[in-house]
Amino acid sequence: MSPVLEWTALALAVPLLAGCQGPQSALDPASATARELARLWWVMSSVAGLVLLLVSVLWLYALFRAPRQYPQPQARRIQRRLLIGGGLLLPTLSVSALLFYGVNAARGMLPLGEAPLRLEITGHQWWWEVRYPQGDVVTANQLILPVGVPVDIEVSSADVIHAFWVPRLGGKLDMTPGRRHRVRLQADREGVFRGQCAEFCGTQHAHMILHVEALPPERFDVWLQARTQREAIAPAPGAAGELFASRCALCHRVAGVSDGRRGPDLTDLASRPTLGAGVIANDAAGLRRWLREHQRLKPGNGMPNHDDVDDTTLDALAAWLEGLAP
Amino acid sequence: MSRLREHPLHSILGLVIWSLWFVALYAGQGLGCALAPPAPADGAATWLNAVLGVFTGLTVLLLLGLALFSWRSAAAGSPQRFVLRLAAGVHLVGAAATVFIGLTLLGLPPCA
Amino acid sequence: MKRRSSHPDPARLHAQFERVWGSPSGWRALTVVNHTAIGRRFLITGAVFFLIGGLLAMLIRAQLAVPGYVLLEPDLYNQVFTMHGTVMMFLFAVPMMEGLAVYLIPKMLGARDLAFPRLSALGYWCYLFGGIILTASLVLEIAPKAGWFMYTPLSSAAHTPGMNSDFWLLGVTFVEISAVSAGVELVVSILRVRARGMALHQMPIYAWYILVMAGMIVVGFPPLILGSILLELERAAGLPFFDPGRGGDPLLWQHLFWLFGHPEVYIIFLPGAGIVSTLLPVFCGRPLVGYRWVVLSVLATGFISFGLWVHHMFTVGIPQLALAFFSAASMLVAIPTGVQVFAWLTTLWLGTPRYQVPMLWLVGFLIVFVAGGLTGVMLALVPFDWQVHDTHFVVAHMHYVLVGGMFFPLMAGLYYWLPHFSGRLPSERLGRWGFWLVFIGFNLTFLVMHWTGLLGMPRRVYTYDTGLGWDWPNLVSSIGSFVMAAGVATCLLDLLLHVRFGRPAGVNPWQADTLEWATDYPPASYNFLSLPDVNNRHPLWREPDLPQGIARGEHALVEIDHGRRDTWGVEALSGRVRDITQLPGNTWIPLIAALLLAGLCLSLLLKQYGLALGLSGVILLVLLHWSWRNGPLLSPGANLTVQANQPPLHWQTHDGPGLWGMAVTLVADGALYLSLLFGWFYLGIVTPVAGPTTVKVGAGWLLGSALLLTVGTLYLGGLLRRLRQGSEARLGIHLLLLTLLGLLQVTLLLGALQAAELQPRARALDAVVLVMLLYSLIHCALATILTALQAWRARLGYVSARQSYEPRVVAQLWLYNLGVLWISYLAIVLFPLGWGNGS
Repeated sequence: MSPVLEWTALALAVPLLAGCQGPQSALDPASATARELARLWWVMSSVAGLVLLLVSVLWLYALFRAPRQYPQPQARRIQRRLLIGGGLLLPTLSVSALLFYGVNAARGMLPLGEAPLRLEITGHQWWWEVRYPQGDVVTANQLILPVGVPVDIEVSSADVIHAFWVPRLGGKLDMTPGRRHRVRLQADREGVFRGQCAEFCGTQHAHMILHVEALPPERFDVWLQARTQREAIAPAPGAAGELFASRCALCHRVAGVSDGRRGPDLTDLASRPTLGAGVIANDAAGLRRWLREHQRLKPGNGMPNHDDVDDTTLDALAAWLEGLAP
Repeated sequence: MSRLREHPLHSILGLVIWSLWFVALYAGQGLGCALAPPAPADGAATWLNAVLGVFTGLTVLLLLGLALFSWRSAAAGSPQRFVLRLAAGVHLVGAAATVFIGLTLLGLPPCA
Repeated sequence: MKRRSSHPDPARLHAQFERVWGSPSGWRALTVVNHTAIGRRFLITGAVFFLIGGLLAMLIRAQLAVPGYVLLEPDLYNQVFTMHGTVMMFLFAVPMMEGLAVYLIPKMLGARDLAFPRLSALGYWCYLFGGIILTASLVLEIAPKAGWFMYTPLSSAAHTPGMNSDFWLLGVTFVEISAVSAGVELVVSILRVRARGMALHQMPIYAWYILVMAGMIVVGFPPLILGSILLELERAAGLPFFDPGRGGDPLLWQHLFWLFGHPEVYIIFLPGAGIVSTLLPVFCGRPLVGYRWVVLSVLATGFISFGLWVHHMFTVGIPQLALAFFSAASMLVAIPTGVQVFAWLTTLWLGTPRYQVPMLWLVGFLIVFVAGGLTGVMLALVPFDWQVHDTHFVVAHMHYVLVGGMFFPLMAGLYYWLPHFSGRLPSERLGRWGFWLVFIGFNLTFLVMHWTGLLGMPRRVYTYDTGLGWDWPNLVSSIGSFVMAAGVATCLLDLLLHVRFGRPAGVNPWQADTLEWATDYPPASYNFLSLPDVNNRHPLWREPDLPQGIARGEHALVEIDHGRRDTWGVEALSGRVRDITQLPGNTWIPLIAALLLAGLCLSLLLKQYGLALGLSGVILLVLLHWSWRNGPLLSPGANLTVQANQPPLHWQTHDGPGLWGMAVTLVADGALYLSLLFGWFYLGIVTPVAGPTTVKVGAGWLLGSALLLTVGTLYLGGLLRRLRQGSEARLGIHLLLLTLLGLLQVTLLLGALQAAELQPRARALDAVVLVMLLYSLIHCALATILTALQAWRARLGYVSARQSYEPRVVAQLWLYNLGVLWISYLAIVLFPLGWGNGS
């Protein structure tokens, strides 16, 4: 390729590819499956674009050229050619090729056998419960994976239908109450990927975001180990402790302190990047704001308002929560 | 036969048969997987694919036969010519659709 | 053609016809049953709902224009997008297309009205009242908010308490009564009420499209009606059809919904394509290329589109092979569409196109619709669908298909038939402005939206964060949507202005070939003063002066002294005349029935079940009264003798449109029952349930009832055979005996219900059995009541050997009930449901 062509191609490709990037973009793949699906898009959209162009140009040409009279036999010949060639053969061949390709692709993506790592994700209105059966690790709204290792995720739901979807790693799968389905992911590079509930699940469907992070296997092991071999957590001291026990403990679990099941497990809360399943950043200011204004930040969420609690106690509670990291 | 031939519903019979086949195919797959699911690792070479495949083949033969019957019945000049030709076309479309959809039986394991 | 050398003074004839057929104004306009008036009402009401739906769309786009912007609180936003979809689908697209067909079909087919004018009126009122109830919920801010496909458990009582979902389930079901009744009416009218001599293959192509659309409505809507009934029963009475905790399954709802929902897309698209196939030849000055090909394509589309429903469920976790069946069918449906596109293209190629405003919309249609079809083929590919399903990509695709396949052709059609409605032509300039604004605005909004979806934006989110690459495409979409709104406003302005300022259209302004242009513009209520014979597809091209001849009364059925509303009844295939179909005049009954139905709907909404039961009784009485006003009682005061050289009136034969109407209605009813049966097998076999799957029913009682029903049906069959042979001895007594037999059979059925040990609130399978038994109970009771009425009518002499068509209608119901009861018996008692479970 000549340098001019190369540069032109690059000049065209860069903005296009830049436009594809995004933490949740299906066109910015980070796994073999997602890459295959992105390629599928580029191939299909190119062919479709050509077909659309062909049909539109033919149509407009027929409309605007000088009309002409065809003798009967010729008209019949044109008629037969266009109907059989364009109407019958063109779509038949295209969809046959597509079906063949599709069946093969689908077969290639079947999660056959068992993956070395298995975990469970349950959808709740409006947050994700993530369980690592090895070592009984429970977390929420974050999914940490090892790079290069196939992971089987069993998805289900505790209330309504949600859908598990991390576009940069692969396609989506519904989370249906009463059923368990399996989806296999394998990140092939380190990084942070964004997942989001894809099936409309009620008031806060927009705020059901999953932080997905792929770590090198060694670091993943460290991450998991830190949670399986965790030191015992001491309850919050004083008024904050009473507040937690009387209000939070009913719904939230903190290993060794409380056993609530309705809301997210808080045992490793401080290690999570966001609060409210992606509503605000989990920093000192964010945490305090969430405790006071979560109903304004995420209207309709399941946690009752606690704006009657005085600032000092809330601050103390926040300070204790900030320590909940392995 | 002549009553069938001249009945207006004859013209859509081919696609009615296709619909019944389609429902039976889907139901058969569901039932088979509920009763005795073949292992996904076996791929498409399972008893269930074979049974559904034979059923599909028979349906195609039936539809092709009916298409031929309708086409031959459409004698030139008969008042039903249009409807009979249409019926032949519909049977043929039904057969083609059956083949096209049936082809998937060759490529995928039934219950995974 | 011209049979009469001396005909009476046309002006006097017109006046006489007007007296018999005319649609009164003032408050008596509420009694009108005429298809022209009803069609116009459908179109205007549909346009109003379109504007409401469009307004909701503007709210959605305003909210999504920039990240983090909250114009509407989340719950209200969810109501708005749910209602946008609901209004556009149920209150705009389907009724609009049906309304246009109701208006056009008789005129195109050379008839004076549809076969069941009172049913058209009932359909309209149900649509209007249902639409008002639905939109009222929005004003009260308690509108449905679970998305327009109402997935349960989100829409169930546990997760959406309050009336929101009930509005949808009851309101939409109410509106669907309208859709199904129009469907039945159009099927029968197209097959039975045409011009003399018009064989099936000589019908205008539009009639084929509408025939298939109407047939699809008849089969496609009942699954959703059943689903809505079951979900409402779950919400109101706690029957757990969809509750996985009690043996139900949320996926059953999805199956029932999409069993309706996918054909729905084609129900909307086919009439649009029919408009294209009608207009394009006119503007090319030559017949449509490949009429047979197109008919075959339309039939194929109609059937195959029922095999696509699971392609909305590719991500629910169904085995790959099953997905592949539906994926293949979804791709397959592209082929008949391809055939049509190329038939249109060839028509253009071989014709001499004229580039006028309707043609502009057709060009827009082609580009937008083909683009939507192509993304549709992509979505049919299972793995690709896993990525873009439920994202803005699908939103974009769906709008390309629906706006492209329905709205653009509809606008082409409105511009084309505008002179027909008003007698005037719209403005070329405003029309072009309107088109270009809509076209550019639409593509700006939705082309970019594909990209938004690929970048990962799910649909139905009320807001989104910045930094995801979604900001600029959303802003562009929002701007585009306002451009499109400006275009719609321009078209609306054009439509309003043309009524006053448009040029008079003259006769047949577009040089069309079809008979609707042979009426006056606007048309007289009886369409044609005299009914011409038709034996080719292009009557106005063959005989350009046909309109004048018709208006001079030179053709058939110009007699009006008898005071009846007459039109030809023809044989379905050949178009040979077999009777004079006598049509009913204006009446209050449809309005009263619809008002009572609205009352029923409201009382169910407000959970006043006693009132609902009472109203149901009253509704039954009104409908029975309606059925009583048939045959010789159809038009009181009219002279019922026909001239010697004329065929008999339809109710004096063995066959009539009513027989076909009953048959088609039973097809719809059967689709409902089969959906229920599907639910039974689905819950029994596919749903993962713990615990026993056997259901204790009163098997002996059920068997007895089924056997008795068999005897009754055979008895009635014998009676009809003897009637046909001319023997009517003691007809009334026989019918009375049959009534008693029916009563006994219904009692046995009640016994079965009594003896069954059902726990319908605890187990979904028991609930299904309960519904199955109730279904048969209601149907058999109805058959018994109708038989009793027939006995009475036989006594009064309205039913006899010469007039045996009514008991034949009732016999169809008996036969249907027989089939249903035996199938239920086999399914409930004999089918070993234990098979599927335990795995």
